[in-house]
Amino acid sequence: MNDQNLRPSLLYRMVAFFLWALFALNIGSIVWYYPEAPNWTYGDLFRISSLSLIIWATVCFFSAVVINFAGKYLIGFKYYKRFVLLALGFTGSVSLLVFANHVLIILVAWLGMGFFMSRLIGIDRRWGEAREASRYCQKHFLAGTLFLAIGLLMLSFELNQFTVTGIISSVGDIPYWLLLISALCIIIAAAIQSAMFPFHRWLLSAMTSPTPASALMHAGFVNGAGILLTLLAPLFFKSDTMTLLFFIGGITAIVAQFAKLIQVNIKQKLGCSTTAQMAFMIMQCGLGFFNAAVVHLILHGCYKAYLFLSSGEEIEHLSPKKPQRPSRTKWQTAFVFALGILGALFFAWITGKGLHLDGGIFLTLIVAITVGQAMENIIKRDEFSILKKLIIAPIFFLLSIGLYALMYNGTTIFMHDLPMIDYPESLSVLQIVFGVIFLIGFFIMKLGIYESFPWLYVKLINDSQPYKKTLLRYKKNIK
Amino acid sequence: MNYKFLNKVINEAAEVVGKTWPLYGFVTSNPLAGYEALPFFTALKKASPVFGGQTLPSGSVFRKAWQEKKIDEVILTNELNTVGIHSSIENTLQKMESVVFTDFPNDKHELDRLTVKWLSLFLDEGLAAWPMPFKDMGFYTSWRKLVVHDNDLMALARKNGHRLTTIPKTPEEALQEVLFDFEPEAFQEIFERHFAALPGWVGFIKYRVQNNSIWQQEYPISLLDYLAVRLWIASLIGAAIMSEEPTVVDFSDREIIKIQRCWLEAWEKSWQQRFFSEILKSSKRFDEFQTGPKNIIIGNNPNTKLKTGLAAQLVFCLDTRSERLRRILEQAGANTNVEDEPRYETFGSAGAFGIMMDYQHPETGMTYKSSPAVGASSYLVREKPVRDRQDAQKAYLKQGRKLSSYRYFLKRMKNILPSAFGYVEGSGLYYGAFLLLRLWSPNRAEHWLLKHKSGYEALYEPYITSAVPVISDRISSEVIANTKTGFSKTSAKIVLNPDLDEVSTLALYAHDFVGDKRAGSGGINQDKIEKEPSIIHSDNPLLQHHHHDVTSTIDDIGDDQKALIVKGTFDSCGWRSFAPLVVFTGHASKSANNPFASSLDCGACAGQPGKYNARTLAMLANNNNVRNILKKEYDIEIPKETFFIAAEHITSTDEVELFDQDIPASHLLLAAQLKKDLIWAQAQLTKERLNEPVNSSSIAKLKSNSWSESRPEWGLSGHKGYVIGPRSLTLKGEFSDCFMSSYDWAMDPDGNILKGIMQGPLVVVQWISNHYYFSTVDNQKFGGGSKIIHNITGKYGVVEGNGSDLKIGLPLQSVMKSDDEVYHDPIRISVLVQAPRRYIDQILKGDPKLKSLIEGGWILLFVMDPEQKNQIDAYKQMVQPL
Repeated sequence: MNDQNLRPSLLYRMVAFFLWALFALNIGSIVWYYPEAPNWTYGDLFRISSLSLIIWATVCFFSAVVINFAGKYLIGFKYYKRFVLLALGFTGSVSLLVFANHVLIILVAWLGMGFFMSRLIGIDRRWGEAREASRYCQKHFLAGTLFLAIGLLMLSFELNQFTVTGIISSVGDIPYWLLLISALCIIIAAAIQSAMFPFHRWLLSAMTSPTPASALMHAGFVNGAGILLTLLAPLFFKSDTMTLLFFIGGITAIVAQFAKLIQVNIKQKLGCSTTAQMAFMIMQCGLGFFNAAVVHLILHGCYKAYLFLSSGEEIEHLSPKKPQRPSRTKWQTAFVFALGILGALFFAWITGKGLHLDGGIFLTLIVAITVGQAMENIIKRDEFSILKKLIIAPIFFLLSIGLYALMYNGTTIFMHDLPMIDYPESLSVLQIVFGVIFLIGFFIMKLGIYESFPWLYVKLINDSQPYKKTLLRYKKNIK
Repeated sequence: MNYKFLNKVINEAAEVVGKTWPLYGFVTSNPLAGYEALPFFTALKKASPVFGGQTLPSGSVFRKAWQEKKIDEVILTNELNTVGIHSSIENTLQKMESVVFTDFPNDKHELDRLTVKWLSLFLDEGLAAWPMPFKDMGFYTSWRKLVVHDNDLMALARKNGHRLTTIPKTPEEALQEVLFDFEPEAFQEIFERHFAALPGWVGFIKYRVQNNSIWQQEYPISLLDYLAVRLWIASLIGAAIMSEEPTVVDFSDREIIKIQRCWLEAWEKSWQQRFFSEILKSSKRFDEFQTGPKNIIIGNNPNTKLKTGLAAQLVFCLDTRSERLRRILEQAGANTNVEDEPRYETFGSAGAFGIMMDYQHPETGMTYKSSPAVGASSYLVREKPVRDRQDAQKAYLKQGRKLSSYRYFLKRMKNILPSAFGYVEGSGLYYGAFLLLRLWSPNRAEHWLLKHKSGYEALYEPYITSAVPVISDRISSEVIANTKTGFSKTSAKIVLNPDLDEVSTLALYAHDFVGDKRAGSGGINQDKIEKEPSIIHSDNPLLQHHHHDVTSTIDDIGDDQKALIVKGTFDSCGWRSFAPLVVFTGHASKSANNPFASSLDCGACAGQPGKYNARTLAMLANNNNVRNILKKEYDIEIPKETFFIAAEHITSTDEVELFDQDIPASHLLLAAQLKKDLIWAQAQLTKERLNEPVNSSSIAKLKSNSWSESRPEWGLSGHKGYVIGPRSLTLKGEFSDCFMSSYDWAMDPDGNILKGIMQGPLVVVQWISNHYYFSTVDNQKFGGGSKIIHNITGKYGVVEGNGSDLKIGLPLQSVMKSDDEVYHDPIRISVLVQAPRRYIDQILKGDPKLKSLIEGGWILLFVMDPEQKNQIDAYKQMVQPL
């Protein structure tokens, strides 16, 4: 018997080609326009801004990767063709979201994203749990759309303005109470989309979708919040809800990162990680760095798409005995601290973040700890040569900061057409408190104190369980 | 309640479910192994309602086979008529197709969900960075300490009007309380139902207990724990302990089952007809081709010398995938040699070359089972550094530590707060770039993965010691529920118990027929265990620090025993004359991003590469003492010119790597020629296998490295037969759907060699074949389901979507072309043995278990009796009522 070495269908190859072409076109346009942003409008309906080009390029990239992957991976799947059409529908919806200027089109795009994503979650209609998961997620997405509709339409009817640009430019004319309610509704819509606590459960119940669809969800769909918040940035300044964003993000980031560590299924683990990363993105928004949030959503997309697509590599025969980890000498500790500070200074110098007493200090602090932590894990290993420890690794870390900064600066310059996306909040007590909580969290993790709080373990496990109807709900039998 | 009684009932009840092996050591076992004492169709009838799955191929599968003319009309009509079905073929097809499967709400939904929640937390083998607290106290105790905080469970209990009271300290007490209202006679059925509710998870508990895995030693769990937890939860939330209705109602229609059975048997018979005619054609062609007896030297001839004309002999492990390679290599010589004589001769050996061994990896220090899981291991093979390559060996280990440091670094950066956020921003672009590399250039991406780039085979040489085997399947039911006592000692005791002599039959099939004096004790030297307790704890990772001074503590088995191992291989291959180069070719598979990768390795042999065994055997056969003993005691003279090496056939790319670093200068040319021929053979082979006219070798390589390839190769899919006989039967035909064991009855005057094959490889093949059969007829229940929605749990298994029963078998992509179309023909294995009928009668008389497998139709045995003009006859099966 001969193997049939099947290849992706023509449809997949065409769609992938189309998406890669669009991606190239968008990158080309960005390069062409840079550093000026395009400013093209079509009546009240559409506009192309810097954000449109950036998000188009991003979503085309992830969709193309996923379609390329799925074209081979899903061969033989009953809904093979349906998958590519739904993925295309989703890509179109995201693209429409950043293309739209009219509020109603934005709502349609938001609805479409949820519609296509929930269809992808339930793509295998033969499977009861998948149908349940699809329904459960669709409910969340509909609720999100509803909140978004309330938030946006309140502003529209108040101002009799149905374009986003129109609303944003006259945000100052709206009574505060209305502004606040509207901002709260939009924040809820964003929180649902990004699976913030307490709306996180849909994301952890969405693993019924084929792996490539999960990659698209975690690299694309959840980013909706970042896009929405960036588009409407001035609204949150004016309604004083920046601190709320920071708070929602901060709490979720810590809880989800802890929950991630106790997950025993790879996809749930990645799901918790996505929630934590999205929470961090929302924190960045709350600090006034919407530009940083956009960069974060792109980079996190690359990271999470990779991890989902390679999630089949988790099978491993480990030993239950924890190997002894070497301890640090004083000199090593000093070096780690020095490099952390150096990294932070370098970061502050090239991005300008952290030079003033504002939220940027917070982000710079994270850079310092990350570099320190990275260095610590290298320097105490005997296997690495002195050269690697003292020269190559530090240079590599600084290079990585440099690459990030390059992207961050580029994005910031390009996005200057959008109002108030790089407008750091001044340092507040809450930010300092969170900074301290982050540090405490860091030490709790390092020292493994969690084991003394079994109730916390069980609480986190229960809060990160999928919705009950989406697992072990059905049995197959003869009709 | 009597503890002993409880254990007995639990063990008996546990027979309703199979054993779930971890995916890092996949074993193609018969999922209905607990039913093997029953005849095949009776077993199906009994298991079907327990599992709620299909046990016979569905109408659409038969229709496809019918359209492809795989089923002979005459045979089918005859089958149907015999049982009194006279309707048209189309009519029977439609009847079978009228059976539709659909979703029903699971009435044990909450109970299953809560049980799985706690099980998966406890059973995790390192996926979670933070393990479940109190895990080292065992499943029941850790659950008991944590569940008091479980608000989810409390809410359900309140709904049921219960409140959580004190949970008893021991699982026995908990069971006692829950089962207070039930008669002890009802226990077995209660337990059976609660085992059958989650067969995959329960099977994995069975695995942990029976194999006493390293995780089990640290974090014990037992079936008793499972029952106590599950039933306690059930009584709390008001789920039925014993529902009125059986778990799954057997809706199946007897009439339709009758039709399915006829179709199945007709399909099998149709294939057998073709198979036998191919065999006869092939052997006839062979006879015509033979000009004289110069190439076959039959008999126990003490004067055997170097075989003229041959460059090399290649011996393959029991696997269908070697057939193409063998056929093509044999042609390689014939096509290019001026004398038109084959340059290569090939043999099919027992699985894992018949060495029942465990293998300790020199780098990780972990011990793996490296022989068929149906029997216990008699030996432990370890590696010692080759003396003059210690620098390279140190460098290799250092490289390994570096790689693991990198892996640890990445894990750490992903986990820790708040670095996880900074890490994603700093590394996102690298991930993006690597994503593209893996997508567009899998071969290059492969180079960057954190794995060793080359093997360590050149730096180490294996040495063999006797070992306490991991407890064998057949006896381990004794200790299923027992985790309380010191387990290693318990298992050793049981193995040593002379009353349990069945241990030895499988364990020693490679050499027991030559009268191993210790066969009765499983080949274990009791003194050794007492002196060398570390052998028992061979899983102990601390052992890795020993290999520096290992030479001083080598505890070899005697040369006599080594010679017996080698003789066993020669005997079972029917082989006595030697080419200058003999290559023991193990096999393994390479695939990327594949949770089921180990299922493509030496499958029945616990999902490990076969090279460990091949290298061990080559080492033994090159040993001068061994050769002397073989010559003196068994009249087997290995010529001085003959050198043995090991090799590994990568079945996904069809590359063959020779481990020829120690080859003498005199053999270098031969090896070089062989390498050249192997590359040529790879091109031919992949062309045929993949149906790719051009670039087939590189297409195969790409498939094996591509992370988006869900079908890197077909493994053993498509196998249908097993030939036990000389290569001359099959040499002139194509039998890529058959296992082949080289066996020459003329060299086996008392049938002992055949006995070894039938009790070893044949039993393994039965497991493989039935694993593939059941995975194909109901991939959801008995297989792994579709890979595309798999979610890896605990580093050892997969569940579907958000969570499900632990999957137990091969994934859909291993046995099916698409969701609706099978690739593997779901029929039972047909075995053809060329041997006198009396041999077989005698063997089966002494092995009632094997006899019942054959008479019960788990194996379809045919005898080609050379004493009856090679007429092929079916071995009679018992009549199985419908």
